[in-house]
Amino acid sequence: MSTANTVLLVVSALLALGGAVGTIAAARPLRAALALLVNIVALAGVFLSLHAQFLAMVQLIVYAGAVVVLFVFVIMMVGATGKVPRSPRGLATKTVSLVVMSVVSLVLVFGVAYVSMPAAHLPHGYGTVEGLGAVLFTQAAVPFELVSITLLVAVVGALAVARGRTPKEAAEARARRAAEGLEADARLAEERRISAEVSAHGGH
Amino acid sequence: MIPPIVLHGLIYGGVAAIALLTLTAWGIWFERKFAGRMQSRLGPTMVGWAGLLQPLADVLKLLQKEDLVPAQADRTLYLLSPPLTVFFTLATVAVIPFGVDVAVANLPIGVPWILAFSGLMVFPVWTAGWASANKYALLGAMRAVAQGISYEIPMLLTALVPVIFAGSMNVNEIVRWQAEHHWIALWPPGPGLFAFVIFFLSCLAEANRIPFDIPEAESELVAGVTTEYSGMRFGLFYLAEYLHTLVASAVASALFFGGWNGIFGLPDGIHWMLAKTLTLFFLITWIRWSLLRFRADQLMRICWTYLVPASLALVMISALWVHYAPQLGPMWGG
Repeated sequence: MSTANTVLLVVSALLALGGAVGTIAAARPLRAALALLVNIVALAGVFLSLHAQFLAMVQLIVYAGAVVVLFVFVIMMVGATGKVPRSPRGLATKTVSLVVMSVVSLVLVFGVAYVSMPAAHLPHGYGTVEGLGAVLFTQAAVPFELVSITLLVAVVGALAVARGRTPKEAAEARARRAAEGLEADARLAEERRISAEVSAHGGH
Repeated sequence: MIPPIVLHGLIYGGVAAIALLTLTAWGIWFERKFAGRMQSRLGPTMVGWAGLLQPLADVLKLLQKEDLVPAQADRTLYLLSPPLTVFFTLATVAVIPFGVDVAVANLPIGVPWILAFSGLMVFPVWTAGWASANKYALLGAMRAVAQGISYEIPMLLTALVPVIFAGSMNVNEIVRWQAEHHWIALWPPGPGLFAFVIFFLSCLAEANRIPFDIPEAESELVAGVTTEYSGMRFGLFYLAEYLHTLVASAVASALFFGGWNGIFGLPDGIHWMLAKTLTLFFLITWIRWSLLRFRADQLMRICWTYLVPASLALVMISALWVHYAPQLGPMWGG
């Protein structure tokens, strides 16, 4: 790994960590979304330093350009001005979560550091568009297509939930409501008639 | 010791950035002159011959103005947004080949690089609008973001057409392929030209230029995102808009019109790239002063019901062409 690569890796990794902390620590939702953006862009930098160029760009286009924008939209729609209140949890909960998270992180760090990986032998064209495309359309063709179908189903589902009624459906719904209203009117008139009859005969 | 590749990037990047910023300044002068002529006015005339020094005077004026920050504003984001817009626009320039094999960075992932950074462009606009703590700015930002992410899709898809034809994502390789074969906008008849038109329209929308400038429709939103900005920070937004237009023209001429490749067998070089870029820039200016803006909902309908399906079809047609054209004979293949 060349010096420039190492510098890129270290800087990106630190930025990614900072962004991740910012995402959960920010009081304002929009600041959190922005910290997530920093995290995602920095991760793209990490990918670049690991020779996964195409992945880095896809990371920027999909995660930064689409997913974070979606978050931003949701936040702006539900109100961007509010602040998240400070956590009401006590000291004990905080200590326990800190200890648990530290242990998990340490295990991860030592796991990565000490478990011997097979020497990374990068095949020719690793991380390039050609390399990725060749893998996607040969070894991983079926899962790839399945994932696309899953996404398609999600899109259709979202459309089905979000679309309004067609004029025909709206007319049907109006007719149904009107019919229900007529029924209710008839019931009410019948009850009135009975009670009038009862009171006409001097009550109970 | 600085590695040579970093040095190359610094020098070429610096030269390209300065050249583009200068070009942008006089692009603004040109547009004001042109707009003046179209409206039977003279445009700037006072500063320098034919008002040629007007951009310098404007920059001096903007620098002297007070840099206001609204009391309710989110200060950090408010101050950071304008420089970021310029930064993201300039980042795209890195992969554009200006002369024969002359680019700041000859990246194998040039096209995704351009698309990624133009996708990131929505963020400084959004943060500016939100941080201003102003209704008009926020509305403008929401419109800009909605428009940006919608028009990004046809832009992304149509940028794939040259990639499919040239078989490379390196912008310089795409231009080289066009120099060896033919310009993608001209041949095969249809997909290339239509892809260019859609790409060009999407670029206009991304740069918030008329007829797609609804995010700063002054009759509805004062000045949209830039409402609260004053002085040089407003100047940076203004600069970024024109820079974006210029960069989009350069990208379009590289992807679809053979970049530095000369016509009629004339020698290749940077002058061709400049001529093509400036022609497209002129076209954008012309459109701006001839057309009205669309309404926000019309804008979205155009994108989602016409441009997205059309660009999907173009990608498929191009792929089929590349696959089957060689079988039609040497005249058709490319």
